[in-house]
Amino acid sequence: MASDLIIGMVGSGGDGVVSAGEALMAAAAAEGYHVVLTKSFGSQIRGGESSCRVRVSTEEVLSSGGTLDVLVVLSWEDFLKFGAELPVGGHTTIIYDGKTGAAEQIPLSSVTPAEVLAVSIGEMAKQAAGTDKAKNTVVLGLLAGWVGIGREAIVANLRKKFAKKAPDVVAGNERAFAAGLAYAEAHALHGTRVMAAARADDRKLLVIDGNSMCAAAAIFAGCEFFGGYPITPSTEIMQFLDRELWKYGGTVLQAEDEMAGVGAAIGASFGGKKSMTATSGPGMSLKTELLGLASIAEIPLVCINVQRGGPSTGLPTKSEQADLFQAIFSGHGDCVRPIVAPVSVADTFAVTVEAFNIAEAYQTPVIVLSDQEIAQRKETVRPIDTQAIRLLERRQPTASELAHYERFRLTESGVSPISRPGVPGGNYLASGIEHNECGAPSASGEVHARMTAKRVKKLDALKQRRDLFLLEGDPDAPLGLVAWGSVAGAAREALRLARAEGLRVKLLVPKLLYPVAEAVYEDFFESVQTGLVVEQSFQGQLHRVIRMYVNVPAGMGSLAKSGANPIVAGEIVDQLRTLSLNLQRRRVPDLQPVE
Amino acid sequence: MTTNVGAQAIESYTTKDYRSALTPIWCPGCGDFGVLSAIYRALTNIGRPPHEIAFVSGIGCSSRIPGYTTAYGFNSVHGRALPIAQGIKLANPDLLVLVAGGDGDGFSIGGGHLPHAIRRNLDLTYIVMDNQIYGLTKGQLSPTSPQGLSTVTSTYGSLEAPVNPLSYVLGYGAGFVAQGTPADMVGLEALILAGIRFPGFAFINVQSPCVTFGQPELQLKAHKAMLKRLDALGHDPTDRVRALTLAQDYGKELYVGMFYQAPTPAPTYGALVRTRQERLRGQARPKERILEMFAPA
Repeated sequence: MASDLIIGMVGSGGDGVVSAGEALMAAAAAEGYHVVLTKSFGSQIRGGESSCRVRVSTEEVLSSGGTLDVLVVLSWEDFLKFGAELPVGGHTTIIYDGKTGAAEQIPLSSVTPAEVLAVSIGEMAKQAAGTDKAKNTVVLGLLAGWVGIGREAIVANLRKKFAKKAPDVVAGNERAFAAGLAYAEAHALHGTRVMAAARADDRKLLVIDGNSMCAAAAIFAGCEFFGGYPITPSTEIMQFLDRELWKYGGTVLQAEDEMAGVGAAIGASFGGKKSMTATSGPGMSLKTELLGLASIAEIPLVCINVQRGGPSTGLPTKSEQADLFQAIFSGHGDCVRPIVAPVSVADTFAVTVEAFNIAEAYQTPVIVLSDQEIAQRKETVRPIDTQAIRLLERRQPTASELAHYERFRLTESGVSPISRPGVPGGNYLASGIEHNECGAPSASGEVHARMTAKRVKKLDALKQRRDLFLLEGDPDAPLGLVAWGSVAGAAREALRLARAEGLRVKLLVPKLLYPVAEAVYEDFFESVQTGLVVEQSFQGQLHRVIRMYVNVPAGMGSLAKSGANPIVAGEIVDQLRTLSLNLQRRRVPDLQPVE
Repeated sequence: MTTNVGAQAIESYTTKDYRSALTPIWCPGCGDFGVLSAIYRALTNIGRPPHEIAFVSGIGCSSRIPGYTTAYGFNSVHGRALPIAQGIKLANPDLLVLVAGGDGDGFSIGGGHLPHAIRRNLDLTYIVMDNQIYGLTKGQLSPTSPQGLSTVTSTYGSLEAPVNPLSYVLGYGAGFVAQGTPADMVGLEALILAGIRFPGFAFINVQSPCVTFGQPELQLKAHKAMLKRLDALGHDPTDRVRALTLAQDYGKELYVGMFYQAPTPAPTYGALVRTRQERLRGQARPKERILEMFAPA
């Protein structure tokens, strides 16, 4: 019996493989399995290639995983467009629609899958439902038979899904499911793929995607204004808020462009409301000047960047972690803005709330670097205890402070009380031009020096936030891993696999990427002789940023790759083994980035 | 620049209450002094305490103006005054929100925001100090500079036809379109006052000459001689088509007064927002339980 199974499905846009993945996930979650669902598409609006991966486990799932255990192919032509996003290995079972190509034409080079099975999926759909549109339902029947998930739940969900359609649509799909199931029961696989039973207490898992989680967290944190412009892969944040935020007395503005979206959010925050904007790389480029305005005018603001491949239009539908340099360095002038990054859908809640807390407490824009992988994948998530989360509000002036109000008064923490329009006596001028303590514009070098120091130093306190780092593994390990964002999931998985093999390794996952908390890294690196910074950017951006601030052990290398193809646990473990062997031979490996 | 005026229980205000301690950076004789003065007077007439006013601007000589008032000011970045002002108004609908800037701010770098501010129709008053030149950066071509104008960035004369702000905003569907000049202070104050009172987006183009880099023949003295009052011409400000025809003379004639004022103003975006919020308010699930919507059915 399997306790962890990765199922991939691929076909053309109309084949419905993604909705099959959704249905499989819903059924598995209802049965108490932990599930991660990722989808991948070409950029076509309709049609084109589409695929999904469903990872089902009896334990918490940390990443969408590597090599597939089961692959369902409705079209080999579409399969080829995904490359390493749908990796096939020696243990993969492949089920394909016999119509998409003869066995000898299967385009798999240099790998012999465990089992390759042609099934007349399209024919079965036509016979059962009168249309090959029901192909995906046949697939669900096949999987229910071979994997053992969703025998009841899938049919029940089908009935709900097609409730508003003609009765024969429901009946046709039920027959298609039954046909798939019957086929699977009559044709056993060589190696079993049946899932072990899930834990009963996990039946309360939520099913949610990263973007919805981010938006829900914003509402929980007290966000009352969202201004933004639709852009893939962040748009679901705006869509969720447009459905929900109004109910809480908030406002959603679909602005005319990215600058107007963030500008309106800055205005709303100046007006006293917790505010947010969300975008992806190209939008971040456009918003840059206004983020600088929020920094100098000390306006709280949360800015979500769901990273995709870049530069320019790049890979709009695929994940990459290559906007870290941009997040840190894109503004002109001496300016620090906090950057945080979630490591999973579940973690997106806490990290988004944290972004609001930092923005409000320190009166600064905060960038949340999510990525397409986290933002658009669906995860099963344990219910979150929101009672335990503290929400911070901006420090408002007291009555006595209002009697002689100085908006940018120098304080020990660098944070000055912030007024808002409507408050008598709190009147001030917010400005992008340098200003003195009272808010009056100034071109004085002295004023500029002390206000710059105020704005930079107020954020130093964040470096003490060790709770914004995950630390796992052997504290004295000579092998160190550092990873962030969605790739942290693969790194955590790799850590477990490597330790199970007896490697002495530890992992540091920064959720606070900037300012760089030097002491946290220095403590981590104390025992480290060799290791890897793992990230999905060609240049190894985090690795280079850490090296700007911290004395990193010479033996620390990079596992850095550009986007789309995910970094998986297996390749991290492979490299850890090599590093460990080199260590035993007392040799330090080369520092070249590893492709 | 702070003021405590708002904290006191003053029932009526004088222009002094809206004047901040900052000294304007403008050149002596700049048209913007007249605009500032007209704003002080209009605000006095309205009588809202300064802390209930937000005054937003972008970048340019004229964009310094919020700092010269005691209102809550926001001197933002080039071209983005309108989005920021809309955010402020949406966050805090009871505020009186003024927006000001120059022709470069409003029609060039920020030109993309103007049609959207107009179609969104928040209750804002947008005062553009149009001087057909970039004064703060010392005399470059502006989007309203006349074709052929020689400047430091159009050494051999500008090749481009100028923007016509009046026909733009009329074409975009603004419900309130006026033009004034500090050469007619009474008229200018009345237009600003009417703009503030108008329930929706009000646009006031002020021909505010640049005394240092502007055309010498187009200074305030010349304005006095050349201005033509629209009411004296018998223009009916509810006649949008006639207003569009008159607007074609931008750059040739100096019409002052009301080009167009919608006789029955459309509901403001702010009002629509509040209606929606109230309609949906009962449907909110407690924030701390928001994730329950993702529980399996």
